[in-house]
Amino acid sequence: MTRKSFALLAGPALALGLGAAEAAELGAVDEPIKLAINEWTGQHVSTHIGGQMLEAAGYKVEYVTAGYMNMYQAMADGEIHAALEVWTSNVSELFGELEAEGKVVDISGLGLDAKEGFAYPAHVEELCPGLPAWEALAACAPMFATAETLPMGRLVDYPADWGTPGADRIAGLGLPYKAVPAGSEGALIAELRASSEKKSPLLILFWQPHWAMSAYDVRFVELPVGEPACYEDPAWGPNPDATFDCDFIPTRIFKAGWAGFAEKWPAAYEILESYQLSTADQQPLMGAVDVDGRSVEEVVAEWMAANEAKWKPVVDAAVN
Amino acid sequence: MSLAESPAAALAAPAWRLGPGERTALVVVLAGLVSALLAPLLPWVAAWPDAWVLPVTERVGSGLGWFLDLIKPAARLVSGALAWPMAGTTWLLAEAPWPLAFGGFVALGLWVGGPWMAALTVASLGFVLASGYWTESMNTLALVAVSVPLALALGLGIGVLAFEMRRIRAALQTVLDIMQTVPTFAYLTPLLVLFGFGPVVGLIASAIYAAPPMARNVLLGLERVDPEIREAARMIGTSRWQRIVEIDIPAAMGQILVGVNQCVMAALSMVIIAAVIGGFDDIGWTVLLTMRKAWFGQALLAGMVIVVFAMLIDRMSAALAEPERRGDPRIARAVLGVSVLAGLVSWTTGIIPGAAEIDLLDPVAAYVDAGLTEFTKANGAALDQVKNTAMFYGLLPLRIGLDDAVLPFTWGFTWDRGMSAWLLGLAGAGAALMLWRGWLVAATVLLAGTAVMLVGITQLPWPAVVVAAAALGWRAGGWGLAAFAGLSFLAMAAAGLWDRAMLSIYLSGAAVLICACVGGALGLLAAVSPLAWRVLRPVCDTLQTIPLFVFLIPMLMFFQIGEFSALLAICAYAVVPMIRYTRHGIVSTPADLVEAATASGATRWQMLRDVRIPYAAPSMLLGLNQTILYAFAMLVIAALIGTTGLGQAIYIALGKADLGLGVSAGAAMALLALIADRLVQGFAAERRRALGL
Repeated sequence: MTRKSFALLAGPALALGLGAAEAAELGAVDEPIKLAINEWTGQHVSTHIGGQMLEAAGYKVEYVTAGYMNMYQAMADGEIHAALEVWTSNVSELFGELEAEGKVVDISGLGLDAKEGFAYPAHVEELCPGLPAWEALAACAPMFATAETLPMGRLVDYPADWGTPGADRIAGLGLPYKAVPAGSEGALIAELRASSEKKSPLLILFWQPHWAMSAYDVRFVELPVGEPACYEDPAWGPNPDATFDCDFIPTRIFKAGWAGFAEKWPAAYEILESYQLSTADQQPLMGAVDVDGRSVEEVVAEWMAANEAKWKPVVDAAVN
Repeated sequence: MSLAESPAAALAAPAWRLGPGERTALVVVLAGLVSALLAPLLPWVAAWPDAWVLPVTERVGSGLGWFLDLIKPAARLVSGALAWPMAGTTWLLAEAPWPLAFGGFVALGLWVGGPWMAALTVASLGFVLASGYWTESMNTLALVAVSVPLALALGLGIGVLAFEMRRIRAALQTVLDIMQTVPTFAYLTPLLVLFGFGPVVGLIASAIYAAPPMARNVLLGLERVDPEIREAARMIGTSRWQRIVEIDIPAAMGQILVGVNQCVMAALSMVIIAAVIGGFDDIGWTVLLTMRKAWFGQALLAGMVIVVFAMLIDRMSAALAEPERRGDPRIARAVLGVSVLAGLVSWTTGIIPGAAEIDLLDPVAAYVDAGLTEFTKANGAALDQVKNTAMFYGLLPLRIGLDDAVLPFTWGFTWDRGMSAWLLGLAGAGAALMLWRGWLVAATVLLAGTAVMLVGITQLPWPAVVVAAAALGWRAGGWGLAAFAGLSFLAMAAAGLWDRAMLSIYLSGAAVLICACVGGALGLLAAVSPLAWRVLRPVCDTLQTIPLFVFLIPMLMFFQIGEFSALLAICAYAVVPMIRYTRHGIVSTPADLVEAATASGATRWQMLRDVRIPYAAPSMLLGLNQTILYAFAMLVIAALIGTTGLGQAIYIALGKADLGLGVSAGAAMALLALIADRLVQGFAAERRRALGL
């Protein structure tokens, strides 16, 4: 890919200009910092912005394609140095284990305002007029039913390896639905796409920021507001006998890194630690890539040029 | 189960002297009856008690973890060593300007197969370039280019060893079977731990998967070398090593080249699957990314790149075996020179557009995608109807039995005990009639089938399943196979994988049943009508080489997440061998048999029914065998569209890096595939003997 050669060419050029004076604080500028590129566009955007900030500080950056679920062993081995968009709601158990062993670290939150919940494409409101209030779901259940779930309604849950948040909430809220695990993100998207095209009913577990939120006009069901108490105390919430009778607590999205990062590249660690990105900034860039079909590098470079105020101070503070 | 019946044996035996088929049938029926009667009284008969589940997956996990840590340093050395050729080929193919690789391949095509092959190469690579996936494709090709020599060396080694050391041949063949049946997803996690992150894992996974076809063909080739040649070599006093290198391998070269071809194809298909773990920007990763966005057009385009590669490699390696087709080396050298020059020009001046800037086929992808949208929109109701019918009247009863599947909102009424009694009575009467005619096996098949329909495959009492598997094993391959089949099922239960295993059997069983009928019919059609074969053949080739992930999007769009979509996706892949082997078996009926039948005045239909199909039976059974293995392979991929069962367990394990669960579920999958393979092979061998082949 061109991005790799770009990084290799641009890195040394910048390093020559800046590196000489700040070498001690910058650390090993000659060795590339490897950032993980996972499976979704939002992550590509977050990573490229962070990567270009590091390059502006004089580092070499290499973007490494990596499976989101499988990258932590590589991170612990120092083969990947950081992943800039990790979702707490869906993080491999291995990360927790390796963090406890001190092999990987949680660098800091990214600042993306994530939301998860029961969702539906806009046209479903016409089929089940009580939406978005969650109380309407019980009466609409037969409409959401399919051959696999009859007589209950169908809720398309996250893939099984992401856990079963949908099934837990159905049980908690006592809704007459059956959760069907999706198998993969592609399956979730295909369901949204087919439902929007056929104008058929669909209740699905979904999250933002995600490009499909706007592409299929996805809306969230209004569940009782999530609080920690809801998950521990059965008495809390509309169902007195169960936990999980409420909405998701907003997920923290953070940056994870190799344990040796801060020592090897002190300034870079500081940059990543202070790097913040808002949903409002990320979502249009995702659209430019997924809907308009432009390349991530190009879109991010444009954004960097136009929004220097949002990232330059972070880089300057770390380097000077 | 009707396969168990051997007409020849049945005719020879007097009506009430029980042959092996009859005894198997009786044991199965008895086991079923006893379990059915005991199940309400003894809860441990109805379902394997949780208390009996041994912590097998945890033990496997910790034991394997310890072992992997032990050999990790050596493995890291290997991956370090492999990183060099990997970087070199990647640079040459993907990072150097595209005219260089393009021209290089055309020159190769020209030399190997003359102008026609060169033209084919230009057309194929032109398509790849126009698709906009040149860099990704070349990364994939670089992976294949490094993994294939590994697989070839491994395969050659195993093949020669198996030939030279008769005593360990059977053991080695089992190893080959295991290498091919354990789903790759199951060993990606251990490989990741061992070899570290990056393309090396995919490379090794594909080498493991691609070596067996090479080994099998080497062994076959060596076995067919004329013993006299070997004898002559011994007489002039060659050493064993000299004999192998200078006499045996050259003499077996024809068959070995078939192995090379199969090996390359297998490696190509596996690098795509291995992309799931990431680490490399190759075409498999592209297919996964497009699938994640449900972009069917783009996924199909990326998938077609693989199909084109497979076709090109297939034709080139076929041409390699025919020295008389070589093109003029001087022209090939000239083409190579021009391409090096073009590469340099493109590098220095940038006149030729880079591969990343070419995307001529994007409108085609968009058109295909829009077509899918239109079709879904126009036929939504009809598609739902198809799915509901299949679920209500086929899949649900098969899975959970009529007893649970027949409900007011599915069939319009509730199933009660009286209906079960009626159905059983009807089946009993039919069975009695068959018994009276002396068809004992058919009668038991009818009874067992009715019982399964009533209870559902996933709710069968486990003792009945274990006994039935062992009995069938005994019938097909004697006591050894009986023990293997019975113990395998017990092991799955003890590991706590029983429910998942039965779900997998149910889904793949339904798929195999459909493939056997549809594939058999299509194979028959292709055998009698050359036109039909001309249409079917490219479809079969495409279905077999396109990355399996591509099928999943349209299935999901039409039929939503669930078993029906998964079933269709499995069938689309697993039907191919059934078509091929059926056609092959029927077409290759010896001419003298056909002539004899014609001379005795057989009509075309009689010829087909009485001569060609019986003759083709062993080949069709082999096709069935392949169909079963393919169905199991696809089961793991189908977990991506929300099936439960072993495939899902393997997928969860991959996500959580759970060594124990992944390897146990993978082993269970391999055991099921091996049992099915051995059963069908046993029956096929018997048919061949009956036909005097």
